[in-house]
Amino acid sequence: MAENNWLVLTPVLTHMLAGLAALFLWRFNHAQRLLGVFSGALTVLFTIALAITVAQDGPQVYRLGGWQPPYGIALAIDGLSVFFLTMVAIVVFAAMIYTWQCADKGMKRNSYMPLALMQAAALNGAFLTGDIFTFFVFMELLVITSVILVAGSDNPDGIEAATKYLLISACGTLFLLVGIAMIYGSFGTLNMADIARLSAETGGTNLTNASAVVLMCAFLLKGAVFPFHFWQPDFHTTAPAPQSALLSSVVVKVGVYGLLRLITLLFPGSAETLRLVLIVLGLIGIGFGGVTALRTHNVKRVLAYSTLAQIGFMLLAIGWGTPLALAAALIYAFNHALIKSSLLMLAGLVASRTTTKTSSLAESHGVGHGMPWVSVLFFVGGLALAGIPPLNGFVSKLAIVQSGVDVAQSGDLNSWVWLGLAVAGGVLTLLYVTNTWQNVFQKAPDDRTAKLKPEGEGDSWLAPALLIGACVALGLFAAPLVDAAQSIAMQITQPALYISAVLGG
Amino acid sequence: MNVIFAVVTGILFGLGVFQLLRRDLVKVAMGFYILFTAINLFFLAVGAYNGETAAYVVPRKVTTLAEAVPQGVPSDPLVQALLLTAIVISFGSYALLLGMLNVVAQRNKSLNTDRMNNLVR
Repeated sequence: MAENNWLVLTPVLTHMLAGLAALFLWRFNHAQRLLGVFSGALTVLFTIALAITVAQDGPQVYRLGGWQPPYGIALAIDGLSVFFLTMVAIVVFAAMIYTWQCADKGMKRNSYMPLALMQAAALNGAFLTGDIFTFFVFMELLVITSVILVAGSDNPDGIEAATKYLLISACGTLFLLVGIAMIYGSFGTLNMADIARLSAETGGTNLTNASAVVLMCAFLLKGAVFPFHFWQPDFHTTAPAPQSALLSSVVVKVGVYGLLRLITLLFPGSAETLRLVLIVLGLIGIGFGGVTALRTHNVKRVLAYSTLAQIGFMLLAIGWGTPLALAAALIYAFNHALIKSSLLMLAGLVASRTTTKTSSLAESHGVGHGMPWVSVLFFVGGLALAGIPPLNGFVSKLAIVQSGVDVAQSGDLNSWVWLGLAVAGGVLTLLYVTNTWQNVFQKAPDDRTAKLKPEGEGDSWLAPALLIGACVALGLFAAPLVDAAQSIAMQITQPALYISAVLGG
Repeated sequence: MNVIFAVVTGILFGLGVFQLLRRDLVKVAMGFYILFTAINLFFLAVGAYNGETAAYVVPRKVTTLAEAVPQGVPSDPLVQALLLTAIVISFGSYALLLGMLNVVAQRNKSLNTDRMNNLVR
């Protein structure tokens, strides 16, 4: 039986304690921000230590209060959780650095930092819990903190977007609760490993199949996949810059994580049908997101619709479901998080220079004319998003295409069609990224840009530069990430190790 | 799940969804809470369907050891513990929703969803 490992608690506890400390530092705004950066850095270190431990010794478990699963709540970490935790830790760290040097009015509120730290804690908690009800609790905490942070944005429409998100997303978590109740009705347990064991042994009842569908709807809503995406562009556009970077790059990945768990661990029996649905929805998402991004006139909104398309690629790979395709989905998720968060931070930087603090193309065209370095960063990030060779976006696109060819060659002839459609949809990325870049950075400044704030009053470009640097590095030295993703994909297709680690069998 | 639970849960689900689809945001908020209650009842019914006595009840005056054990099948205590958490969470989201509707009403001078279209481009 695996021992309790206190390291498992650290990704949640660090942020949670820092959030508490930030509450006590209520009047000292600058100290709060420094605390955020410190807590982000500490979590990155802890997560790396955790990743090394998991890679060496297999899944790690912490049983809260010493109660044994299946009745006690266990925080359990396997390769998949650690992969997503690392992604979150890096993006949260960058967002904290951005917040530290951000001149936004919303950031200067004393309530911002405690909430942002709690949001990071909830995000980490959702990835590391091994109990499906605790997952629901962390999801609801994530919804509430994100809603307050966006409602307090200095965009006057933030409150409207936040109300929409609260209603729709709370309905999503209600769906999650219905699914959990159905699972409890059919198996009498809430521990994910125990559910996996019983579901593989007995196959479940009719209620089990219904719960698989309901849970999938909840995760699709969380991931802003095509028919459930209506809240997403509004919400991601009106959020303050570091928040929109977080929301659009890692918070939607909770849905992807949930779908991966659903298909590989919880319901192997009904996975076949669910995967077909994922492929279809993913393809619609790729096409719809790309086309809508093309005819949108707001930098942040373009990037929000682009997330819709990029999530589609991940769903396509999850839908193929072979170990190679799952590895491709993981690589895509990691690279997309880095690229999208850096691009959204750059969009926020551009918006911070305009007088009305908007990133709409009508106001912000020509803003980037005097900012050559930001222009270069945005260009490199955009090329990475479109998948141009020396960058990490190319690695993830290549992995998707390779896995698709592999599936198609093993006899599934529909996959050729799906792969062709996906690649055609991917070309749209290049169009909307270059269109946006030309509008913001290449067009000549007009009379509006005379009213721009001086460069010193805009946000700093340290955080996006770090992320773009990571993108270039991951493009040039892709081997470690690809190897890690492949070994994790092999692990999650054979869940026996995870089950035995959690249940102590 | 006995018949009363099934019927009540069904009625509450119907009411909740109907209210959720109305134009007035206060009614939408009420529908949201009714829906949450319906789901909580559903959760309770799923766990307690074979329970006959309360989970942890011991008679007041215990003389022999046999009296300390309640007669019949005890209901499922885990569901009740989970529901307490779920109810607290529902209170939290509902309070936040009402607070935000307050701000929305002050800014928009209306709670009609048709008027909330500042973000449509």
